[in-house]
Parts: sequence; C-alpha cells; structure tokens
Amino acid sequence: MSIATVRLSAATLAGRAVGAASRLTRRGTGASIRGKVMLKIDPDALAKLLAGKRIAVVSGTNGKTTTTHFLAAALRTSLELRDGGLVHNADGANLHHGLASALSQHPDAGVAILECDERVVSDVIRLGQPEVLVLLNFSRDQLDRHHEIKGLGRSWRTALADAGPSGPIVVANADEPLVVWAALAAKQVVWVDTASTWRQDSSQCPECDASLIRTQPDPASGLGSDWYCSSCELARPKGDYRVESGTIIDRAQQVWDPQLSVPGVFNVSNAACALAAAELMGVEPRAALSGMRTVSSPAGRFATARFGKTTARLLLAKNPAGWAEALPLAQTQTVILAIDSAAADGRDVSWLWDVDYERLAGRSVIATGRRAQDLAVRLRYADVEYRCIPDLAAALADHPEPVDVIATYTPFQRLRRMGRV
Amino acid sequence: MNDRERLMSGELVEARPSTSSGRMGQRVEVVLIYQSLLGLYGDRGNATVLIKRLAWRGYEPVLTLVEPGDPLPDSGHVYLLGGGEDAAQVSAVRALKADGGLQRAADRGAAILAVCAGYQIVGNTFTVGYRDEVISGLGLLDVNTTRGPARAVGEIISRWKGRAGRDRWITGFENHGGYTRLGPGVTPLAAVEIGVGNCNDGTEGAVAGTVIGTYPHGPILARNPALADHILELALGHELEPLAHPEINKLRRQRLARVRRSYARSR
Repeated sequence: MSIATVRLSAATLAGRAVGAASRLTRRGTGASIRGKVMLKIDPDALAKLLAGKRIAVVSGTNGKTTTTHFLAAALRTSLELRDGGLVHNADGANLHHGLASALSQHPDAGVAILECDERVVSDVIRLGQPEVLVLLNFSRDQLDRHHEIKGLGRSWRTALADAGPSGPIVVANADEPLVVWAALAAKQVVWVDTASTWRQDSSQCPECDASLIRTQPDPASGLGSDWYCSSCELARPKGDYRVESGTIIDRAQQVWDPQLSVPGVFNVSNAACALAAAELMGVEPRAALSGMRTVSSPAGRFATARFGKTTARLLLAKNPAGWAEALPLAQTQTVILAIDSAAADGRDVSWLWDVDYERLAGRSVIATGRRAQDLAVRLRYADVEYRCIPDLAAALADHPEPVDVIATYTPFQRLRRMGRV
Repeated sequence: MNDRERLMSGELVEARPSTSSGRMGQRVEVVLIYQSLLGLYGDRGNATVLIKRLAWRGYEPVLTLVEPGDPLPDSGHVYLLGGGEDAAQVSAVRALKADGGLQRAADRGAAILAVCAGYQIVGNTFTVGYRDEVISGLGLLDVNTTRGPARAVGEIISRWKGRAGRDRWITGFENHGGYTRLGPGVTPLAAVEIGVGNCNDGTEGAVAGTVIGTYPHGPILARNPALADHILELALGHELEPLAHPEINKLRRQRLARVRRSYARSR
C-alpha cells in the first residue's frame, strides 16, 4: 500500500466515523461532515477518489439535483454491470466535501454521476477530467456569497479552455447566453434547445457587454425564441436536442414523449439535457428515458409527505427563477410558503420582490419560516390574503385538504426530515 | 423656509399627518429605470411599494418601465435606480448620459432614489473591475466611489438624519464593493449604527435636494415605509397621511432586534 492510499483510507475511516455520529445524533445525513473530515486528513482525497472513473458532472443554478437523478437513473440499468457500479451524490451535497463523501461510499464504482455547485465545477474539471459536463442555467442566487453570476461563467470558461482536448464534452442549454459563452471554450458541445423562459438574468452579452436582442416564439411560423448579441458574433446556437410542446426531439430527429414522474415543463428541459448526456455516455434514448421515468422525488423534491393529519407536497424554490417554475405548480387552495435566510438560502431576502406572488391572489397563503414576516410584507403589497405562522410544524398542522408547500433550501430540508421523505 | 424645503434639507423632524385629501385620482408616475441592468437585487420592490402606497391613498399611480434606448419620460414624479453588476452599471450610465432625462428630472425637482450601483451612477465618478477603471457618473450627487478594502455584505442599520421616533431607524441589506466618499455638495442620509455604509466613515447615503442615494437593499422602501412616504412627499410637494401597517412595523421590530442581537453576539 502506498502512503497516498494509506492516507486516503485513514481519511475515509475517520470520515465514516463522524458521519455515523452525525446521523446517530440526528444532526444531518452525515455526508457533509464526513467529507469535511476526510479532506482535512487528506487534502488530495477528492482527486484520488475521482481518479480512474468515468465521470459526468451536472451544474447550474436550478435543476442540478433532478437532472443528476435523471442521468444516474438513465445510466444505472445499462452501465452498472458493465462498469463496476455507479456512484451518485444523490442527497445533493455538492461542494468538495459532499463529493468526497459520496465517492468514498462506493470507492470501486466505475461511473460517477455528480452534481456540482457552480463554484466547484472548475476544480472537478481539473481534478477529475470528467467525460461529460452538463451546464443547465445561470440565474441570481445567494448574491451575498456569489455577488456576480458572470464571474462564475468566466470560471467555467477558463477551466474548459485550460482543459483543452482532455476536457469534457459539454451538454449546454442553448437558451442561456452565459452558459453558451462558457461552453464555447470546450473541445466539443452538444446544444440543447430547452425552451426555457427565464430572461431576467441575461440582458447583456457575456462576450462584449452590448445588449442582447431577444425574439419571442412565433406560433404562426413555429419558430421558437431566439437571442443574439447586438454587437458581436455571439448568438444562440442551433439545438442538437430540442424541447418542443413538452416533447424531446433527439439528435436523430426522433420525437420522445418523456412521460416523466415529476411535474413541470422545466423538468422536461432537465430531462432533455440528461438524455443528451446519457447518449454521450453510451446509453440510447429509449433506455435512458425508461430509467428517467423512475425518478419521482429526487432528494425530496415533489415528494408528498404526511405531517400529522396533513398531506403536503414539497416543492423547492431557491431564487426568483426557481419560484417562477414552482409557483405555477402549486395548485392547492391553501399554499404554504416557507422562507429562511440561512447561509444556504442567501442572507438577503430582497429577491422576494422579484417573485410574482401577485399570481396567488384569491388563494389562502400561509407564510412560514424564519423570514415569514418579510414574506408577509411582500404579500401585503401583492394584495394576497395570508396568515403568518413562523413555526413550520404549526404552519403544516391540521389541513383537511392536501396542501402544496414551496420552501427555500433550509426549511425544505427541515420539512424533509419532519415528513421523512 | 417652507415645510417642503425643511423636509428636503432634513431639518423637519417628523412628517406629521397634515392632510392630503382632495387629491383623489391624481395621476402620479413612478419611473423604474433599466430593470434589465439594475434589477439584480430586488430593488424593483421600491417601485411596487411606492405604487401601492399611492393607490392605498386614492392616487392614480402609473408605473413606467424604461429600458436602455427608450427615452426617460419627462412626466415622472419619482425615478428609481437599483443595484447591478459592474458591466451593467457601465452600460446604464452610458445610456443615461445619452438620454439626459434623469438630469432634467433632477433639475425640475422630481424625486430620485438611487440604490447601490444606482447610487454610484448618480455620483461624480465610480470605478469598476480589478483595474479600477474610473467611470464618470451623472453628477447629480457630489460623491465619488472607489473599490473598498473588502466587500460590504450584511444587514445594515442606520439612523436617518433629522428624524426622531421609531421611524428614524433605516434597516436593509448592503452588498457593495465600492466605497463612497461624500463631497461638500451633499449631506449624508443617515448615520451608521451597524454595517459599513458609505465607506466605514459612519455615514450612509447622500442627499442633495430631491435626489437620494443609498446602499441598502431589502428593498429599502419595503423595510422603511417612512422613507417611502418621504420620497412621495418630495415628489408631490405636500405631506401625506400616514398608513397603518402592523405587519411592516412588526418586520421592522424583528429586523432591528435580530440584527442588533447578532451584532452584539459577534462583538
């Protein structure tokens, strides 16, 4: 045994011990602390754990977890036996220590499907030489930490340029200018026309800062929306895969009805990206889709849980783009909205004013979570009827009809524990 | 000095409930400037707040959204600018200079609230990027902004100059890399209790006539309704009856208490 291997083994053992302790004391899943201890003992643990695997990485602001679950499910049936098993950070722990923790659980797996925080992508490109990198989207999120989303795009672009021919093939959302700009530095790109509609975070050309021109979809001609720079050459690439009226059209022009088990048109977009990535990893669309259809509540998203007498469906929304997707899904007469401002939620809740809560007029809304009062003021100005019940358990108690709950990250994780989903 | 001038100079201590009746149905235009460039931090909420507070009082508010290339209307009563990234800020100042409408608005005494990047834009100069490129602003406020030693990120509490009572606390969330120094042509909006403010010199924001620059998001007018009404009073030229909103008072009490508590703990 080499010294390097000994150190990794010691790190893995120590991590496992604290992970178990964390679970026993019910402080968390143990994933995060396990990885932290490992990286403390062996700073090279992540690189060592990544070595020798076929790796696909998924990143972006929204949809990482679901897309990674899609891709893992698509690959699992076909590749598992052939490549010695598959490891997947299914719980969504996506920083360095979360990745190390997941990988250490299945050190012999031949395939790793990893969702990565936007800030970790460059390191994973460098350390793990992934085969495929899926870049979903960029939008404002946790601005108290990230400040400027363009800086993240630049870090991706630099990492891809530095990786050169040994870098990943990128699957990129052609509707997102910053994603396109970053992906263009890759050795090869598969473009996905995701038909996504969020526009608020890209008005300027990432290449030259001139304004971007956008055209709306035209039902008459059947042309989708388009974007291009008013000054330089940057423009929306033609999609190799396309999302159209809820179907996915693959690169062979075959049309697929996805029939997913998770709701939302945005999840069809995520599925299209996963489908493209699966094909690059060697799984044909029919098999990939049948795997993806088994995904119903990735890391608790869209899960239905019981809270005493109440049946509630849990939706996660972390930022204005995520809320724009989640709000139309909330269909129940009573809707519970849970807001917090812990580090993982973003400490500034000003974004509440970028969300169209006005559309909830006529419903009965319960504002909950540690920043329920901020939401209460927002709802007052939106002319939406609400009750403010900051305590999560109290807000969930005693609803005779099923309720939809939309929560930011921290209360979402608490609700998962409370509802055991 | 009449009330309005005293109000503008910050000398008037508290807006008393004098009357604004008889103006039902008066059209009041709020102009939200370049949301695509200066809309990163939820500051469009300032427009939502002003529009609602006008509507609740029986005015007929109109929200005008202006994007680069569109002319700024000369009919606006209030003009709002918010926070954004460096490149967006440079594009915004270029477009505003080409338009000239904001300068005209300031000249005729319309109210202007400029937040964060918007605040820097209405100043004399600001710098962008790690090479500290100096960009000239609109010069509506005698302030200059340069890159600070560390980004100011966190809850901020300040004390509104010339105000008494519980309305004097301004609460919000600051998130800026630039440090702003005030020239002799402006007075600070507030004195910092917790946070960085302009440049860690104890001051926050700047006021000259009907132009107010300030750093906090929140949005600032959602968390500080007295400041929202002050801006409307500047724009309309008369005082407004106060509105009772227990949920906003509760939010203010909660924010002030929690921020002070966590600050005390961190000492």
